[in-house]
Amino acid sequence: MPQEKPRGGRDTSDGGEPLAGFGRYAGPATLILSSLADGAKHGYALTKDVEEFAGVRLSPGTLYEALARLESQGLIEALDSDDRRRPYRLTAAGAVALRAHLDAQRRVADVGLRRLAGNWGTA
Amino acid sequence: MTAHGEPRDADGTDEAARRAARLLRWYPAAWRDRYGEEFTELLIADIAERPRSKTRALDVARGGIVARLADAGLAGTAALPPRAATGTAPAARYRQVRASLVSLGCAAAAFLAVGAALWSQLTIGWQWSPSAAAPAAAATVITSAAMLAFLALGALAALPVLCAVVVQVTRRRRKTLIVPAAIMTAAMTVLFAGGRHFGNGWPGTGGHRGMVPGGLAAFEWATSLSVSAYWAHPGALAAFPPAELAWMAVSPVALACAVAAAATLVRRTELPPRLLAFEARLAVAACAAMAVFLAGCSCWVATGGQRSLFHAGLIDVGGVAVLALALGVAQQAARTARLGLAGR
Repeated sequence: MPQEKPRGGRDTSDGGEPLAGFGRYAGPATLILSSLADGAKHGYALTKDVEEFAGVRLSPGTLYEALARLESQGLIEALDSDDRRRPYRLTAAGAVALRAHLDAQRRVADVGLRRLAGNWGTA
Repeated sequence: MTAHGEPRDADGTDEAARRAARLLRWYPAAWRDRYGEEFTELLIADIAERPRSKTRALDVARGGIVARLADAGLAGTAALPPRAATGTAPAARYRQVRASLVSLGCAAAAFLAVGAALWSQLTIGWQWSPSAAAPAAAATVITSAAMLAFLALGALAALPVLCAVVVQVTRRRRKTLIVPAAIMTAAMTVLFAGGRHFGNGWPGTGGHRGMVPGGLAAFEWATSLSVSAYWAHPGALAAFPPAELAWMAVSPVALACAVAAAATLVRRTELPPRLLAFEARLAVAACAAMAVFLAGCSCWVATGGQRSLFHAGLIDVGGVAVLALALGVAQQAARTARLGLAGR
């Protein structure tokens, strides 16, 4: 069976994967950034949106750990609000990071699906 | 109304608010200032939706502990200041690097206090009779070299910070630095004067040749007198001279005051990024010196030393455990500081 060659010899350091430095928060961070790509949301709206499109409920502690990290990295920003619930929005840097991360994920998914199809058919 | 637009009953809302307020206490003050209100709202909505969630309290507790560790500069990312503009993120990062250095300083002080007690036992033992046992001899040489390196690094680290404090107090009249600077000076004076006084009174320091000067060995013995197994033997302790007993009680308080005041100074003093980077590099070197010192002590304690002054007892085993813990905290703080400076 032909082997796929690595494209461009990307390493796994942070330079190639913008969310790699998030470690175990990379999952929640991706979900939050993906949700905010659709527009600004506060914590509760984020939780409901992520639950709807990913089937994952982010617990409050986990959500705010990830929000604090994303905000300190400049990937999202808080908006002024008269409400006690402060909305967050994606920044330009956050959009770039999310796109790069999802592209990398898609490459992995493409390879996995191709190998599955070659070796396991549609099973 | 609930967060998703349904009516709430007043009792249920009050109860949810009380539970949310209790959960919020897991987080440090700076985090609560920044995220407290919105997080409480989310918790109230979550409690209304899932009143009996078993994982929520654990999740919040874990998040709170992580936030506290971050606030102490020992992990992750600390909260930005309230209503932060985008431009304040670097300032928050440098604040967290300072917090890391403070934690490292506290761990180093604990290491020094307990390490001095172990080292004094070895060096004073050597004053009387150089050890015939290889582990005790090796431990004395290793710990002496590591302790001298550690103290030199400490002086190198403290000097530029003290200069910054003096400049900011004298030229910029920063009054918030005056009280901690005065407390630190007073506490250090008490430690030094007491160490000299009780060290001079120790009978085994005159006329013997040791690996380190006798006066230094006596000084370290006197300053670490409170790290003693005698606390577990009140009968024997009662036979001590009252002045020595008082010193055993006062010296750890003075050390704690000095460390707390120094920590306040570092938190409040504006330190330029280049100085923070310099301190972070010294922190790595200090961790290496601490690791060498710990290895020397472990080598001695693991073999039980030998009879007479080199004998390693339970208090020394406990001392080594404290050293290992302090080293772990210091390494974590140094790592967090370096990551913070690298902008990660």
